[in-house]
Amino acid sequence: MAGGKFFGGVHPEYNKDLAAARAIEAMPLAARLVVHFAQNLGAAPKPVVKKGDAVKKGQIIAEPQGFISVPIHAPTSGTVQSIDIFPHPVGADMQAAVIIPDGKDEWADGCNVERDASRFDAEAIKQIVRDAGLVGMGGAAFPTHVKLSPPKEKPIDLLIINGAECEPYLTSDHRLMLEKPAQILEGASYFAKVLGVNNVSVAIEKNKPDAIEAMRKAAEKLGIAVRGLDVVYPQGAERQLIFALVGRTVPAGALPMDVGVLVQNVGTSFAAYEAIRFARPLIERVVCVTGRGIVNPRNVLVRIGTTFGDVITYCGGQQPDAGKVIGGGPMMGVAQYSLEASVTKGTSGIVVLKQEEVAQFVGEACIRCGRCVRACPMRLNPSVLGIFAERLRFDDAGEHHVLDCIECGCCAYVCPSRRPMVHQFRRAKAEVRRKAAKAS
Amino acid sequence: MKTLILIIVSAVFVNNFVLSRFLGICPFLGVSKRIKTAGGMSAAVIFVMTMASAATWLFYSHVLVRFHLEYLQTVTFILVIAALVQVVETVLLKMSPTLYRALGIYLPLITTNCAVLGVAVLNIQKQYNLIQTTVFGFGAAVGFGFAMMIFSGIRERMELCDTPVPLKGTAIGLVTAGLLSLAFMGFTGLVKQ
Amino acid sequence: MLTAVIALSALALVSSLLLAMVARAFAVPSNPKVEEIEGALPGANCGGCGLPGCGELARRIADGKADIDSCPVGGERVAQMIALIMGKSYAGGLVRKVAFILCGGDDQVAAKRFYYNGVRDCTSAAILFGGDKACQYGCMGLGTCEGVCPFDAMHMLPTGLPEVEPVKCTACGKCVAACPKHIIKLVPVDKRLHILCSSHDRGAKVRKICAVGCIGCTKCVKEGPEGAIAMQNNLAVVNYDFDIPDTVAAVCPMNTIRAISLDGSGDNAGVKAAAGGGV
Repeated sequence: MAGGKFFGGVHPEYNKDLAAARAIEAMPLAARLVVHFAQNLGAAPKPVVKKGDAVKKGQIIAEPQGFISVPIHAPTSGTVQSIDIFPHPVGADMQAAVIIPDGKDEWADGCNVERDASRFDAEAIKQIVRDAGLVGMGGAAFPTHVKLSPPKEKPIDLLIINGAECEPYLTSDHRLMLEKPAQILEGASYFAKVLGVNNVSVAIEKNKPDAIEAMRKAAEKLGIAVRGLDVVYPQGAERQLIFALVGRTVPAGALPMDVGVLVQNVGTSFAAYEAIRFARPLIERVVCVTGRGIVNPRNVLVRIGTTFGDVITYCGGQQPDAGKVIGGGPMMGVAQYSLEASVTKGTSGIVVLKQEEVAQFVGEACIRCGRCVRACPMRLNPSVLGIFAERLRFDDAGEHHVLDCIECGCCAYVCPSRRPMVHQFRRAKAEVRRKAAKAS
Repeated sequence: MKTLILIIVSAVFVNNFVLSRFLGICPFLGVSKRIKTAGGMSAAVIFVMTMASAATWLFYSHVLVRFHLEYLQTVTFILVIAALVQVVETVLLKMSPTLYRALGIYLPLITTNCAVLGVAVLNIQKQYNLIQTTVFGFGAAVGFGFAMMIFSGIRERMELCDTPVPLKGTAIGLVTAGLLSLAFMGFTGLVKQ
Repeated sequence: MLTAVIALSALALVSSLLLAMVARAFAVPSNPKVEEIEGALPGANCGGCGLPGCGELARRIADGKADIDSCPVGGERVAQMIALIMGKSYAGGLVRKVAFILCGGDDQVAAKRFYYNGVRDCTSAAILFGGDKACQYGCMGLGTCEGVCPFDAMHMLPTGLPEVEPVKCTACGKCVAACPKHIIKLVPVDKRLHILCSSHDRGAKVRKICAVGCIGCTKCVKEGPEGAIAMQNNLAVVNYDFDIPDTVAAVCPMNTIRAISLDGSGDNAGVKAAAGGGV
């Protein structure tokens, strides 16, 4: 398989040593869970519980709306205290159900039952994946069953399991690969069965040699290749990963399936193993709580809906000089204004930075140094796009392919004028999409 | 053949009508804000200048010279050019209303444009024959278009720059045109006059 | 001498004939009224009529597809001129409107939820949790409306709210479309009573986050003429068809209702305290 270094990218300080050595620990159940309904790209599911309802662990509390939608399950048994608006870690205030655990942690009927998964065919697997509420756990939260349903005209010949974890600070995927390699690969095998592919590869950045070793050992007899990739951000982004691994370029506006590839995160693969082999819906995930602003950085297995505040308290609380709490990683994550934000299916990490580590800046004029152009992995011209966005010339921004931006943050990271380009582009994209929607 | 190539090279690079002879500055500055309009204007000018060169030369050699009316050169040339531009305008309005509106006032400005009259007069001065005249007219217009395309490309980029308020717009445009002119001086000596 | 005259005349004749032929062959049908109407229109191409430019509106009016008084910037005067051109009569009665921001929560009275250090633009700030203001319905104060106003009629006050200059405002509607919270409305200049709040939050919550927000106590609904003010989901809303006396402003316990003159008469009786949001 040929590959290469993708264009652009940056080399931030990784700081992964803060949490990399900490084995995953299961956090005890919090006193209160705030389970958001909108936890996937596509249509949010519709709540089917109301205030006062009793729920069992794994019970569906929101039904999918349409094909690009997945259900939400109660992370534990208890009572629905209320349905209200809460901050969502992606940057909005959205509807969530507050569940008070009853302490029994009882599974709903039909859940948590080991079965012989070999009898499931492709359609059955897809249905289980959907009913278990699986979404991309690398952060994008795209419904997995939809990803596993490429149209017939686009045959897949390669499945890549993404263990790159290129975001600085985060080590949740790293620990998962070290501790549960066989389970991840079993999940991957189910995906391969659905797609009918024999060619499966695991991609891991070279800064995780122990994970590469662990996955290689587990993959030996399965004929799955485990490849180490150069350490560069954003190596884990789909297009860049595919290019680095097999040298195929996903054209702008197209998807990996257009070049015959499908990418799934290691966390998603593990969740698939849990769902298919043990009938356990997606109700918990590994979150890396790290940064110099947290007293005890560690990797925790938390229930979906645990508030950031509770997770941080479990990890020793914030340092006295903590300055910023980020949902996700420092490159693509979102700063949180309230610790009432809760863990969702796509929350891979909580990074707490010290006040002195937080840059307070005012973006200045573009000096046309070109650093952003050299850094952009999508070969865009962030300098010109930023100026267009600043001057409200959104039509020009659209013509210069602002919609192809993956919001990785490389341009803003290298800019000497500290221009907030990703923020500008998010706005520009919204305006371009709004205009396109109005025109159609 | 060699003369014709020399004529074109001379008209486009060495003695560029806008940047060396400083003719046709008005539409050059007026229509060069966007590359697309500049392109449209260049096409119109190429058509007018080529036809005007040929038409005026024909009129000069077969009417003015025959009847010893060479002194009417300026007046009659303007008449011929004006009629030609009016034809172009009418045709353009029908064929491409968008380009017509985009060029706006600058379309009839090709008429009173010293570049077109200049090329007609220069043809007579240089004592070209019909083919050389047409080629020279064509080359001059191509040179004009060439300069406009470069200039409009620069101007589009400059719109994105933080120009100081006193220099914004035409002011910085003129400074740039001057620099462009200086650059084109590098072509002197390419063709022996 | 004679040859010169003949030559020039011949040239002129030939040219005219040629031009006449070409004009006929490439004739483009056009309504002469379009140019006249376009001349009467202000020519700002502001888009206030909803169309891309004055030329397009002129065409539509000439074809009878648009009303004579479609231009909000030109107002009554331009409508009369166009009526003359079209040979129609114009009744008039176009009430002049200006933009008004329905929020009184400036930096001194409205709480913030977090420190925002991003792009200084309201639409961009709204991407992050709807902005840093505790009141999710209130003005974010970053000046997007000021930026889009083509008539220099909108300015940000140092207190964090925008102020409209009624004299310059032409009600083109650009600021109305630009505001991400949709709290700028076009109001008639002759109406004085305005409710400077757009929050649908319940009274208890409003009290915590803004000193001048509407708490839905309905005192104004009862004090004003029947139907003049209505409660819409915890928010009092003025119906500008009614004439509401300035005294209604006095009953508001939160100072949300103000009597403000927008037509330049400068009579601001009933305004309890100096505040932003208006004139």
